Amino acid sequence: MASPCELLIDSQDQKLAQHLTSFAYAECRRIEQKYSRYLGGNLIDQINKSKGQSVAIDDETYRLLEFANTCYEISEGLFDITSGVLRKIWKFDGSDNIPTKQQVKAILPKVGWPKVKYNQQNIRLPEGMELDFGGIGKEYAVDNVAKICKEQAPLTSVVVNFGGDIQVTRSRANQQAWLIGIESFKSQLKTQKVLRIYQGGLATSGDAKRYLLKDGIRYGHILNPKTGYPIEDSARSVTVATDHCIQAGLLATLALLQGPNADGFLQQQGVKHWCYR
Amino acid sequence: MQLTKSKNVTAALATATCALLGVTPTVDAQESVWEMDTALLYYGETDRVTAVEGVFAAKKDFGDEHIFSAKLVLDTLTGASATGAVPQESVQTFTRPSGNGQYQINASDTPLDDTFKDTRVQLEGQWTQPLWQDYKVSSGLHLSKEYDYLSLAVNGSLAKDFNQKNTTVSAGVSLAFDTIDPEGGRPVAFSQMVIDQGQFANEEAYRTAFGETRQSGSDDKTIVDLLFGVTQVISRKMLMQFNYGYSVSEGYHTDPFKVLSVVNEQGQTQSLLYENRPDKRARHSVYWQTKYASSLGVSDVSYRFATDDWDINSHTIDTRFRINLSNNTYIQPHFRYYQQSAADLYRPFLMEGNELPKHASADYRLGEMTAYTLGFKYGMTMASGNELAFRLEYYQQNPKNSGVTAPGILQQQNLYPSLNAIIAQVSYSF
Repeated sequence: MASPCELLIDSQDQKLAQHLTSFAYAECRRIEQKYSRYLGGNLIDQINKSKGQSVAIDDETYRLLEFANTCYEISEGLFDITSGVLRKIWKFDGSDNIPTKQQVKAILPKVGWPKVKYNQQNIRLPEGMELDFGGIGKEYAVDNVAKICKEQAPLTSVVVNFGGDIQVTRSRANQQAWLIGIESFKSQLKTQKVLRIYQGGLATSGDAKRYLLKDGIRYGHILNPKTGYPIEDSARSVTVATDHCIQAGLLATLALLQGPNADGFLQQQGVKHWCYR
Repeated sequence: MQLTKSKNVTAALATATCALLGVTPTVDAQESVWEMDTALLYYGETDRVTAVEGVFAAKKDFGDEHIFSAKLVLDTLTGASATGAVPQESVQTFTRPSGNGQYQINASDTPLDDTFKDTRVQLEGQWTQPLWQDYKVSSGLHLSKEYDYLSLAVNGSLAKDFNQKNTTVSAGVSLAFDTIDPEGGRPVAFSQMVIDQGQFANEEAYRTAFGETRQSGSDDKTIVDLLFGVTQVISRKMLMQFNYGYSVSEGYHTDPFKVLSVVNEQGQTQSLLYENRPDKRARHSVYWQTKYASSLGVSDVSYRFATDDWDINSHTIDTRFRINLSNNTYIQPHFRYYQQSAADLYRPFLMEGNELPKHASADYRLGEMTAYTLGFKYGMTMASGNELAFRLEYYQQNPKNSGVTAPGILQQQNLYPSLNAIIAQVSYSF
């Protein structure tokens, strides 16, 4: 998951804690093995190297594709799991290494979710295109691990925290809140914002450290799959709290894709949110 | 590039999420709300003071640990309080502090002034927030008003965390300004109580004589408190705190309602003088506290030593042990022991014919004493998360003779009567 993953378990029972941790570890590893685009030979790798050939998929993958499809539709094309190829020309390393117009023009035909054909049995991805579940994979893992914890220990409150993407399985005994600190990017003061979470999901999108700087213009790392360029004036980081981690993660990402209108968008959604610029 | 169907986004996403995870949605995260604490306290001394106090406190975290807290305390005191005069073999007559009227004390009874009555309003506001990395600042205002007393105070403190927040070092300062304007005026130091026993030709003559024992206007007192502390996490279960405090006050320290009996060699009262205290007092204190959490509950033990330039040295040991009876109920026994030496200005009485000391007071609170409190608290957390608690305590104070030989009839009198009180409190937090 490329980030620290932890479980906070509201219990004195060491056996239960070990039990839940091993379940969580197994589930986490399973999802990573299956969907990480960094691992060769897995399902995603097979699809990405299929050269336009049909690849068989299982029910879980179909559900993820359906979810990605909904995200594409509700964002009117801004959230696109085929946009990962843009990172071949955009490397957000803090440098001034901006790709040329020709490079952008050349890669854009390889982006476009509607070009992907899939059904419950198989998927066909045009040659040169790539799928990337990076935008939802970690949150999906958090929700799945939380679901397992809830099944295994329905009366115990567990916080699943994978690098700041969080799901709380149920409220704690005595109505106590979990105090969750999130790093704020407000000025250079590294203050922590402490949230009181009783139940539900929390996710943060954005990374203040990933950008390019050229001629005084800051290019944030959120790319618009329609233009091939970074979204202008996007927030540096958005945190959203709602029922499920994956929902929160998506809303946070969609807010970043709104550019200057992130706050307005989140207000319209009626969700708790914290937006840093 | 706006989402035109924004309002549908959440709903569509929620449906997609449930389809993906195969679950139904639940409650979301919450930001903090106002936390309220209310309490009603009864304090009753046998035959003496009764106090009823209501406390209303509110606290809110406005995010990022920016915390505002406010407190309102209302209390009423009624009853009788010891004047400092010694008991006698015969009935004694005293003039009320206001100069309006008299009261009589039966033979062998400790003289108490039964006109003790007051209402106090106290208001506090405090703001605390993080500053830079690992620093925290706090500042507050305090106002307390009684019928004849006004106290205004400001405070500020700075704390810094070290060792991944395992050590906290703090420094604080508080400045208070008190004004006193007692009913009937402040007595002139060591002036003799004027008692109308028919010796005055008329009311006006009495009033003139009484007026001569009084100073006009109000007086005040300023207090500076400095506090330095270290809090250390010892282990996952243990926390320790050390504090050093220095307090210096300047101004009017005298209790305008307290007197001293001047007795002859037979122990008979010849006159009553209003007390006189120094106009400066400096106090040092050290405090140590340890909290330990075990599977049974939480124990909390503290010790305080204080010494001041009036020569009062005191030791306080306070222990509480919270025992969890179930997931949502607990009982907490409490024991406190207190001991102090007498102030150098403490005199249970003055001898006739002796030179007057520079300062003197017969206030039992400045004499040698031991005191203890024994009680318990029972608390329960309700399904709503609100907490209801009851506290019942017994307090006993035993003043002691610090080596004064009582003359004549005073040997048969109880010059150091014990005082006991019951404390009952109900508190509710929501």
